[in-house]
Amino acid sequence: MIVLVTLLSIAITVGAYLLSRVVGKRYPSPFTTPVFFSTAIIIIILLTFGFTFEDYTMAKDIMTFLLGPATVALAVPFYKNREIIKKHSGPAIVGIVFGTISTIIGAVLLAKLLTLSNEILASVSVKSVTVPVAIEISNIIGGDPALTAAFVVATGIIGTMLGPSLMNLTNIDHPLSRGLALGTISHGQGTAQAATEGELQGAIAGVAMGLAAIFTAIAAPIIVPFFI
Amino acid sequence: MKKTLIIVIQLFFLWLLNELGYFLVKALNLPLPGNVLGMVMLFILLMTGVVSLKWVEEASSFLIKHLAFFFIPIAVGLMNFGPLFLQNGISLLLVIAGSAAIGIYITGAVSQTLAEKKVGANHDRSRNSA
Repeated sequence: MIVLVTLLSIAITVGAYLLSRVVGKRYPSPFTTPVFFSTAIIIIILLTFGFTFEDYTMAKDIMTFLLGPATVALAVPFYKNREIIKKHSGPAIVGIVFGTISTIIGAVLLAKLLTLSNEILASVSVKSVTVPVAIEISNIIGGDPALTAAFVVATGIIGTMLGPSLMNLTNIDHPLSRGLALGTISHGQGTAQAATEGELQGAIAGVAMGLAAIFTAIAAPIIVPFFI
Repeated sequence: MKKTLIIVIQLFFLWLLNELGYFLVKALNLPLPGNVLGMVMLFILLMTGVVSLKWVEEASSFLIKHLAFFFIPIAVGLMNFGPLFLQNGISLLLVIAGSAAIGIYITGAVSQTLAEKKVGANHDRSRNSA
């Protein structure tokens, strides 16, 4: 039974992804970005047929097996674009530091304003960092690991949905800045989105994701306690 | 057929680097995800010429092209948080979307302004020298 459910889950996921590529190309919009579009379809199918996330977990583990190697692979576009990245390393690092700090402060201020609990506030403050790092920082500042993981994923989706149109609107058109912003705020999912814009964008987003993780690990334990 | 075999061998190599990254992070207690350390290691190997671009290029471009795919199964996990999002949905959406928008704008605007300033300074210099 579990084998059948797992095979079916994989088929549905791959199908939803392929469909999202076709639909996203024909009707580009925040709602047709692959992760949002596919995830919505899969959750609706699972709920409709009475399946839980536990039934899907085995399929999830199989399909995400290559996520680690895929992150390692980001070194390749970075290596190919190393000259242009080196040329802009100063603005890039300043951009990542400002972006990391502003998104942490933005999140805790908004959470405070909307009277969310301290546990939610701590968990949401590290939402821009890739899951394994976010969970560790969240533990240090009094957040909840499962909640943190959910916020990280939600930020990945919302940031990649929102980011490109927001930057079009505000005339942020430098390829370096676009990749930097997506990687800094929406980690791996932002990097995937940036890679669809171009090789340089993808490369710099991958680096931004790594650096943002380090800066957040330093900044969040200093900033968040002021608001709890 | 041959191309598939090449990709599989290259994938295995990338996987090894990833595992090594996680091993080192644990052994040395580094504040980094193992896969990011793996990325740094591959970059150093490419820079020093220990690994040639040809060894990893096919598998890398395949994985990066489909990077978004790997986040879909993880995002499906959000269905476990249905009750929380139903209860605090609007507030959480405002916090996440608002802080993401602030961060994206600041990161983009700051880096773009600085990058353009630098280009401007270079233009001035070339004009002065001419």
